[in-house]
Amino acid sequence: MENPLLSYKNIVKTINSKTILKGISLDIHAGMVIGLLGKNGAGKTTLLRSALGLVTPDSGEVSVFSNPSNALSTSSKEKIGYVPQHAFGYEGFTIDDALELHSSFYPQWDKQLQEKWLTRFELSASSAVNNLSIGQRQTLALIMAMAYRPQLLILDEPVASLDPIARREFMSDLFDLALDAGSGIIFSSHITSDIERVASHIALIKDGELLLFNEQDAVRETIRKVTFSDPNIDLSAFKILSRQANSAIIEHYNNQDIEGALTVTSLSLEQLFVELHT
Amino acid sequence: MLEFINVNPNNGDPIYKQLQEQTVRLIVGGQLAVGEELPSVRKIAEHFAVNPMTVSRAISQLVDQGWLERRRGQPTRVAPQTTMQTNEQQDSLLFNAADQLIQQATQLGVSQTALLQLIKKRWK
Repeated sequence: MENPLLSYKNIVKTINSKTILKGISLDIHAGMVIGLLGKNGAGKTTLLRSALGLVTPDSGEVSVFSNPSNALSTSSKEKIGYVPQHAFGYEGFTIDDALELHSSFYPQWDKQLQEKWLTRFELSASSAVNNLSIGQRQTLALIMAMAYRPQLLILDEPVASLDPIARREFMSDLFDLALDAGSGIIFSSHITSDIERVASHIALIKDGELLLFNEQDAVRETIRKVTFSDPNIDLSAFKILSRQANSAIIEHYNNQDIEGALTVTSLSLEQLFVELHT
Repeated sequence: MLEFINVNPNNGDPIYKQLQEQTVRLIVGGQLAVGEELPSVRKIAEHFAVNPMTVSRAISQLVDQGWLERRRGQPTRVAPQTTMQTNEQQDSLLFNAADQLIQQATQLGVSQTALLQLIKKRWK
């Protein structure tokens, strides 16, 4: 397999004496769209920021394009796109001026793509950035991060403020990028239905650990909720992701019969997310 | 055909499976005729706002199972079906619903005979 675009190895990070990340390892390859799930405060943003060298882990290694993320060359930086949770500067600029300045940092900037997206998302080039709604600012931030077709795109809650139609259009642009340009994308979101549509892979962080990482289809096919009345039920054939008195979430299910199970049901991402946090 | 298909990301089934199952339903039910062309993978993906890889996976499986046929440089079409294939599929498309019904009946303590009678009674 080719070298990963982004590789986390055993990342540990403590902030204000709270350990946010407890040894996370994760590789992102070209063509992957990873949906990163986790409760508020689970460490998603810290993990994403460490890929950009904005956060330095206490231990472990983050590499981007096979180089340490805290010593990225300019040419590497030109191949990364990042949209933070809270956008963003360019106050006092018009959209046009902001894009003019921003694009000057990226030799690969595609002016046509920029125009196409401005039109599609109904942003007028002469509007002042100050007067934009939160959703419009987010759209502009996405254009700024994507118009040079980055090889690695890192998005922190990118679409929360976009309306459903803009979200759908934006997602089909993500696919174009991942499939046509061979980029890797990691994005965090709370909107599980968006992740369900877009992500090829699901990564779920809980209490600073990577509880789950798999292809989305595999997640749906091999994770089940089992209910039972006898707490001594034999679930040793499976990996147990969480367990209550009369139910458990199991991984590695393969249509086998489970003796003593009352029900075995599949879960949507949202149900899974909730179940794993109760 | 796309208007007949309904992708629900909140359903527990993988999206490729939903696409695949519903397409088979359309073929077995006759809404999709033999020889009918399917839209391109990209069109389908855009329509449902889902990952094109997912669509492509569903289509490949349908081709492998003989529901669709793909010829180089041509759009994917509905393949001619044998009666046996259709009959078999009519049964297996109901497996899930039947399993759920049986499960609920068992939970409520309804016997097999009583359930069969109920189905007879509700059948119009």
